[in-house]
Amino acid sequence: MNIFRFAARALRREFRHGELRTLAAALVLAVAALTAVATLGQRVERAIVASAAELIGGDLGVSARREIAPEFSAEAQRLNLQQNRSAEFPSVVFADGKSQLAQVSATDASYPLRGVLRIRGSDGSERDVNAPGPGQAYADGLLINALGLKLGDSLELAGKPLTIAGEILRQPDGGQMFSLAPRLIVALDDAQSSGLLGVGSRARHKLMLAGDAAALAQFQAFAKANLKDGAQLVTVAEAQQNLRTAFERGESFLRLAALLSALLSGIAVALAAQRYARRKIDEVALLRALGLGKHRVLASLSLTVLMLGLPACLTGAGIGLLLQQIVLNYAGNLLPAAAPATSLLPALAAIAVGLAVLVGFALPPLARLRDVPPMRVFQRAVGLRPRRFDLLYLLPPAVAFGLIMTQSGNSTIASALAGSLLGVTAATVCAGLLLIVLLRRLGRSLPGALRFGLANLARRRGLSLIQATALALSFTALLLLAVVGPGLLAAWRADLPPQTPNHFLLNLQTEQRTSVETQLQNLGAKNLNVLPLAVGKLVAINGKAPRAEDYEDRRAAGWINGETRLSWSPALPESNVLKGGAWFDGKATAPQISVEQMWIDMLGLKLGDTLSFTIGDRRIDAQISSIRQVDWTSFRVNFFVLLDPATAAELPHSLIASYWLPAERTVELRSISRQFPNLSMIDINAILDRVRDIIDRVSSAVMAVLGFSLLAGLLVLIAALNVSAEERRFETALLRTLGAKRGQLLSTVLGEFALLGLIAGLIAALGAISAGLSLGRGVFRIAWHPPLLSFAIGVVAAVALVTFAGWLGTRRIARTSPVLVLRKE
Amino acid sequence: MPQSADVILSASDVSKAVAGPDGHLQILDSVSLTVPTGETLAIVGASGSGKTTLLGLLAGLDNPDSGDIVLDGSHLNRLDEEARAALRRRRIGFVFQSFHLLPALTAEENVMLPLELEDSGGDARSAAQQALASVGLEKRLHHYPHQLSGGEQQRVAIARAFVHSPRLLFADEPTGNLDARTGRAVSDLLFDLNQARGTTLILVTHDLNLAQRCRHVVRLDGGRRVDEAA
Repeated sequence: MNIFRFAARALRREFRHGELRTLAAALVLAVAALTAVATLGQRVERAIVASAAELIGGDLGVSARREIAPEFSAEAQRLNLQQNRSAEFPSVVFADGKSQLAQVSATDASYPLRGVLRIRGSDGSERDVNAPGPGQAYADGLLINALGLKLGDSLELAGKPLTIAGEILRQPDGGQMFSLAPRLIVALDDAQSSGLLGVGSRARHKLMLAGDAAALAQFQAFAKANLKDGAQLVTVAEAQQNLRTAFERGESFLRLAALLSALLSGIAVALAAQRYARRKIDEVALLRALGLGKHRVLASLSLTVLMLGLPACLTGAGIGLLLQQIVLNYAGNLLPAAAPATSLLPALAAIAVGLAVLVGFALPPLARLRDVPPMRVFQRAVGLRPRRFDLLYLLPPAVAFGLIMTQSGNSTIASALAGSLLGVTAATVCAGLLLIVLLRRLGRSLPGALRFGLANLARRRGLSLIQATALALSFTALLLLAVVGPGLLAAWRADLPPQTPNHFLLNLQTEQRTSVETQLQNLGAKNLNVLPLAVGKLVAINGKAPRAEDYEDRRAAGWINGETRLSWSPALPESNVLKGGAWFDGKATAPQISVEQMWIDMLGLKLGDTLSFTIGDRRIDAQISSIRQVDWTSFRVNFFVLLDPATAAELPHSLIASYWLPAERTVELRSISRQFPNLSMIDINAILDRVRDIIDRVSSAVMAVLGFSLLAGLLVLIAALNVSAEERRFETALLRTLGAKRGQLLSTVLGEFALLGLIAGLIAALGAISAGLSLGRGVFRIAWHPPLLSFAIGVVAAVALVTFAGWLGTRRIARTSPVLVLRKE
Repeated sequence: MPQSADVILSASDVSKAVAGPDGHLQILDSVSLTVPTGETLAIVGASGSGKTTLLGLLAGLDNPDSGDIVLDGSHLNRLDEEARAALRRRRIGFVFQSFHLLPALTAEENVMLPLELEDSGGDARSAAQQALASVGLEKRLHHYPHQLSGGEQQRVAIARAFVHSPRLLFADEPTGNLDARTGRAVSDLLFDLNQARGTTLILVTHDLNLAQRCRHVVRLDGGRRVDEAA
């Protein structure tokens, strides 16, 4: 027999009449959901990256302590990428006998490649511009103020007079969230001709690029292979720790939504395939009796399902692409105007995942049909031989685990999800078995029709357990999408509370502290946080001088070759969490330090290692006594390295402060600036606005995606439950034949379904709460408190949904003549 | 037991037991029989006497616990399931009490099934149409089972049983679900085809009239053979 031809014929015939339609529908919905989520997710992600590129002034770059090697520029030119060269360095500027430290950006005319440089000109108008021309400069308002100048005046940089042509209002950040001093932008040629970039210069040179994604990827590969002497790649992801956290969280949310869609579809496919397999038992027995071997039975069934699966997946992908386009059209404001075009890759990946789901979840029940004895054609009582264990039973959990591992992109998400789903499965099976025992003992005391319905649960023990588990897993996924996801998103939005510090104050001297603090408080400053700041250099790790080339993490070069800012504090600072060791207790006789997790990972450190720093003329050999994790999104002053206060007491230092000030009072800082000209004041309102904007966009887009997954999940669940309701059609028809009233029929089926829904809903709520707590703590680092009322509503909704699906199935059967139903059986 | 050239099926000392809720239950106990080629044999007995179990064993659908069955020269207990399936595919036809037509297939497609399984290379469709015409259902080719009466369904099943010209035909209560008149017509059809094609017919029945039309009758009682008449 030609198995392909046979399977194709079987599919053609059965699709007209059989339950394969349900399986196909589940698959179509699943792949549609996956495609929509993944494509939308990719577009959102690209839009976020594009938006972030505005912050770093380009898509990608190379930065180094010396001039960027010409081969990078040549490669960029070969790849047709736009280029911008710049150098950043601190320098003192002079005007009318006054001086002020400034952070200078010297750049060529192409600046900025991405984002906008907005200035206020001498005529008071605001406009977006490129880099200043020769002899001109754009300066931070604080710098202009500190020097007592106005627009159009001159200042002097390394002896070169420059006219202040504009006040900087908004500027792509260039990869550094906070500079130590007010900013000054000048032409690259001016900086070069004034000798500021010569030998011994402290400048950091940068080559920023923008252009086609494929060309950028090629350049990135080239640059990685050719970076030397401490040169680093400047990428969106590496640029800013707190924005990076925002992107990672957004991505984790999207991956979570897509993953849950895939798992939901797996459950639906498993239920549909099980129903299909049960229906096929008699047919398989006949085919076996007529001489079809067991392997061919399996091959024919698998081929039939695969032939159905591929077009269903393709259809699903098409619908998914259409749906995400509709979502984008209706929610276009979620994304920047130039949302990147759709790529087909997520759709192809969704098709692959759909097929994996089909094979993983549909194969086990179908494969069991191999064991249908041909003797069943004579004796219907001869069923499948029970097996204590079948390796195939491991396939659905293995595929689910594989999906979780590959789609989550994060081991903490994977373990939180896998752990809670496993817990839900175990709890449902235990609760189900307990219930069956109880029903057997107490069932007799229940009223008639309800007794019959609940007795069905106990009688079909295996099926009831499978169904309860499938329902509990589905509801867990749905509750994660409906309650936990939005809850975490809301907590994330609240993560940047209204009075997040929006100003930094540098170079404050100890004797100025009281006066400045008082004046700031008088202006209405809140959340004032002052910490000491000493600048040192890392000179040894465990007694050995570190070399940048020994570390895989390219960020290490910056700290090994450059300066390290250190601070100290008697208590663990706010927004820091101790991950290992113990906080300074003041009893240690030798110097100790507390190191942030990123440094630990980057430099391969552990508790007890010794780091040596030179600070001024002192050398400190300090042992790592604790490891901290900093919440960089807090926008407070934070440090990678904190010294124990006893060791730090005599170190030369200044103070650094962060605080929140109402925007309208910013202008009043000028009086403090005039009184203490040594102070550097940084206003990060613009950056905070951008971060808030990005969080808002990402979380709105994620909400849309979560909503879509939820809708698709509900549809899949209703379809699956509808199928399982048909399991009861024979009993329902029999009761109808025996004269059961419609109400009795309903209480039979609804009692059974309501109990199933209640067990599944309760266990799912507990599972979703535990997954939510682990996701909040481990992945999103958000304090999330389970909204118990929402979960209670979720449980009630679960009962209502399952009962409604049961009613849908029964209603159809009750309207059909019982004779027809029985005859069809 | 060697099988002579004109014996198509023989069983010697065939026994079968199953585990029941009350312990070991002997279904068949040392049953022996021989069936000459082209003959007709009825297996009769009360409900639970082991008739259907014996039919299943003779057709190679299950293995006896002990004893030997030789079907058309092949010792069934020496064949694995795949080989027994191949034997059934090529040499055996079945007619069942409850018809066992595939509900998703039309009458014509149901009859094509054995030819498709065998993949004999011929024109399965026209062979099926001829077979249906030979049972008087040439106008019901595209009807689905639920659109046919019980008698018509059983005639489709007979057409399916004969379409690949099997050497043996096993029938389990072929008239059991039909009224007397339709049952008579169906049994006429079975015997006519048996005569016309020389197919050996082995059937299980409660119907003594049907049993009496067979040349051989095996009577079972409590799993033991109690009588044989020619």
